[in-house]
Amino acid sequence: MEVTTLSQQTPRDFARLGRGSLEGIIASSFKPKTSDLFDQDFRSLNDKLILNTNNEDGVIDPITLHSLNDETPVFGVDTSNIELGETKDGTLCAVRGTIVWRENGSYQYVRHGPFIFHISEANKQALYNTLRQIHFNEDEAVGAPIVEKMSDRIRGILERWLQRQICESCEDSLLLFDGSLTTRTVNGPISVLGELLSAARSRNNAVLAISKETSLSVAGHRMADLIDNKYAPCLLDIDRIALSQYGSHLHFFGRIYAAKLISSCFTFRLDVDRKIPKEEGIRAVERLLGNDLIAENYPETLRLAHVLSRFSASEVLAMQRFVAENYNLKVICRPNIRQVLFGPYGGFSAMRQEGADGYDADLQD
Amino acid sequence: MMQIYKIDGSDVEIISCPPEDVRKGDYLIIEDVSTDKGLIIQVVNTGYANVPGILEDILRESSASGIEGKDFDVLNMRPFVDMIKDAKVFSCKIRRALVKGELSYDISWTPFRSSSRVGRLADEELLKIAAIDQTPSIHIGTSKGGAATAINLSSIDGKLNIITGKKGSGKSHLSKLLVLNLVAHGGPCVVFDINGEYTSLGYTEDDVKTSINDAIINIYPGVNFKITLQYAGLGVLLNIASSVLDLPATSAWEVRRIWNTLQENKNLSLKSFGEAVDRISNNYVRDAVLRRFESLVSTGLFTDNNSEAVTLEDYLTKVKNGGALIINLKGLPSSFRQVIVEFMLSKLCSMLDQWFMRAVFLFAEEAHLYLKETYWEDIVTRMRHLGIFTTFITNQPDSINESIYRQADNIFLFNFTNENDLATVSKATMVDVETINTIAKELPPQYCLALGRAVNDFPLIIKVRSLQIKTLGQTRLFFSNLSIQDKNERSQSRRESHSPDSLVPSKNLPSIQDGNRNKIKDRQLRI
Ligand SMILES: Nc1ncnc2c1ncn2[C@@H]1O[C@H](COP(=O)(O)OP(=O)(O)OP(=O)(O)O)[C@@H](O)[C@H]1O
Ligand SMILES: [Mg+2]
Repeated sequence: MEVTTLSQQTPRDFARLGRGSLEGIIASSFKPKTSDLFDQDFRSLNDKLILNTNNEDGVIDPITLHSLNDETPVFGVDTSNIELGETKDGTLCAVRGTIVWRENGSYQYVRHGPFIFHISEANKQALYNTLRQIHFNEDEAVGAPIVEKMSDRIRGILERWLQRQICESCEDSLLLFDGSLTTRTVNGPISVLGELLSAARSRNNAVLAISKETSLSVAGHRMADLIDNKYAPCLLDIDRIALSQYGSHLHFFGRIYAAKLISSCFTFRLDVDRKIPKEEGIRAVERLLGNDLIAENYPETLRLAHVLSRFSASEVLAMQRFVAENYNLKVICRPNIRQVLFGPYGGFSAMRQEGADGYDADLQD
Repeated sequence: MMQIYKIDGSDVEIISCPPEDVRKGDYLIIEDVSTDKGLIIQVVNTGYANVPGILEDILRESSASGIEGKDFDVLNMRPFVDMIKDAKVFSCKIRRALVKGELSYDISWTPFRSSSRVGRLADEELLKIAAIDQTPSIHIGTSKGGAATAINLSSIDGKLNIITGKKGSGKSHLSKLLVLNLVAHGGPCVVFDINGEYTSLGYTEDDVKTSINDAIINIYPGVNFKITLQYAGLGVLLNIASSVLDLPATSAWEVRRIWNTLQENKNLSLKSFGEAVDRISNNYVRDAVLRRFESLVSTGLFTDNNSEAVTLEDYLTKVKNGGALIINLKGLPSSFRQVIVEFMLSKLCSMLDQWFMRAVFLFAEEAHLYLKETYWEDIVTRMRHLGIFTTFITNQPDSINESIYRQADNIFLFNFTNENDLATVSKATMVDVETINTIAKELPPQYCLALGRAVNDFPLIIKVRSLQIKTLGQTRLFFSNLSIQDKNERSQSRRESHSPDSLVPSKNLPSIQDGNRNKIKDRQLRI
């Protein structure tokens, strides 16, 4: 894999569009958010599946896994977004994303951002269209989501951009996505996700998607308790059940498994590119076991990508101070340590809007 | 930029982001432009701001540490993040308010956060506001920031001072500086020199006599300082005999009787006194008195030879208008030290009482080694009233009673690392515990925290200036390289050249006999 190509690309126009959106707020008022940083971790909650099984479906036999160390490079992508605060016209948000890979036993990363956007009713449509045009090559205008959802969408676009980076430049590698390989049923043009997977396949890569926080439940059991420790590491093929229940309105680009990679750890949802043969897909998981560290039941590559993307308290403060200082914002908020800390401005935000409808950006196409 | 975070009583917390280079002991000023008032505050502690989530940041960073990568930080956010992480909190104490330019002790008023500015108070500015250096003054060194720092002479005059700190921190040096400056301003000083380290105050480092050389007079009790019984007087003698030598009351009565008889017969001398003691019929009393008499004689302080006898007045006349009597107690047995000190103090008191002189500045190094319990209170009350203004110098802060600390006008605190010592000092001084504990612990050698009048109650860290004098206070080492040994040899010979002639304050005082010269040499060798 040409890692150097990874470190030469930057997501086109994110910085330019972000700066452009900020020009509109010079000298206006700013109310920084101070809610919990942990909110940014719960994105994947949206990959929610509730599966019902009938007794006649019988018992699903676990597929036992055997770790396979064959020096396959492992790549992971994760992104993060956070709301910094409100202006009189809209909201300020920041996004950031990271690619981490493990090759020959050591980890490396490329990180993009933070990119800061000001999103208002006035600019959200243009911003959305431009980003989609540039990154998904979509000329057709689509209605932008509500202002509060925009930061999720921008993050989604950044994430797809990063995924495209690895899908198009890696070979013979394992590519790990955060979340699922699911979109709404697509009527129109071929889905961006579908394109990515086929690009990956054509270079002999296997794409696996892992939902950190999933609320998959089968037959009334939370997935966490689905697999007995003694079977680990193993997979549970729940694809048929998922398809039978959601297949009509969701498009599953991945084959759905419940996975337990280490005994005594929780079970999570794992999607494997449906278009690679099932056996090969299972071997990809075994290669993941052999070529990445699995700590806390979770591949280290993806954990690092998450850690490096996630915004910390001081970064949020720093970004708030950055915009307040560079765009001469007037801060409105009650004094507290955070406000004092960043000078004449105030507080920090880590609020994420949580909503029922949280699929990735291209789900709406 | 600094901002008020909290004010609670006399405690203020200031947040600084980006962090300014403010150190413990530095002064800041909170100016409320809307009311033209200000608060002068002193930083007593510094730390990182407890930004919510910082711990998580650190853990997170360490969990991803050691991995290499490339950051496309297009907005260049890194410096902002570092600035937030480095944000500091300064814990401060309010020292004084400033109302329309005037100092005020009323610090009950709270500034408005919105209209207040927090800034540094430059040392020069503080010294000006505090007006601690009005002439005549003593230049004692520089502030931490490098501003020349002088203290007003009147803040020392008539006052009780304590200089304390751990060994080798520079206490005696400051004491010498004060002595030399008081002398230069015409003040009479008496030094109880326990280590014999003040004897070269009149010489430069190159062993050249300084301009005040004549005013520095070294007294070697029993050598160039011998007195007659008559001059000592019955009162002093009895006092010494009972308090230092534990003479029982019945025997004291016998001494008084002998004294009076000899006095009437105009035959008061050591010789006749000794004979009279021999004639005491009661064996028990005779032995008791004889023992004390012999130990007094053995000090060599007393003489029947009028030509070698001197008086304290003779010496004091020399320093009355500026000068120092260095009473060298080095190497003397402890009871002899006590005899000398008690004699000196009694004489000084009676001379001051008779207005022989206006006042005297007394410097007492490690006074607990020669001053009985009962004298301490006396020194800070009665004797002070008479005009003995004392400076205690000690490395054992608990050797000084709490009540003495409380009556002290000035405390010059050098470094302490020992917790017990710190606790003793912080309990007893005029400033809050936190100031002592955090600042005194970190003072480098030769720096002191000045508290009290001298600094107009603005605790100030001062780097004591060096003195262009020969110092004898250095710690003696067994192993030293050749060049140092060489230097010591030279200083040894220099010391000899000071004595014996330079021990003699003037021609009308007795010159030292050859035998005594040897004695001095002997003593120096024993030293
Ligand atoms: N301000 C100063 N400038 C230059 N030299 C100094 C200064 N203060 C102290 N010294 C030197 O440091 C050494 C120790 O100082 P000093 O004798 O005053 O310490 P001390 O606190 O009295 O110690 P001790 O408890 O042993 O009596 C001496 O050699 C002295 O000359
Ligand atoms: Mg000393």
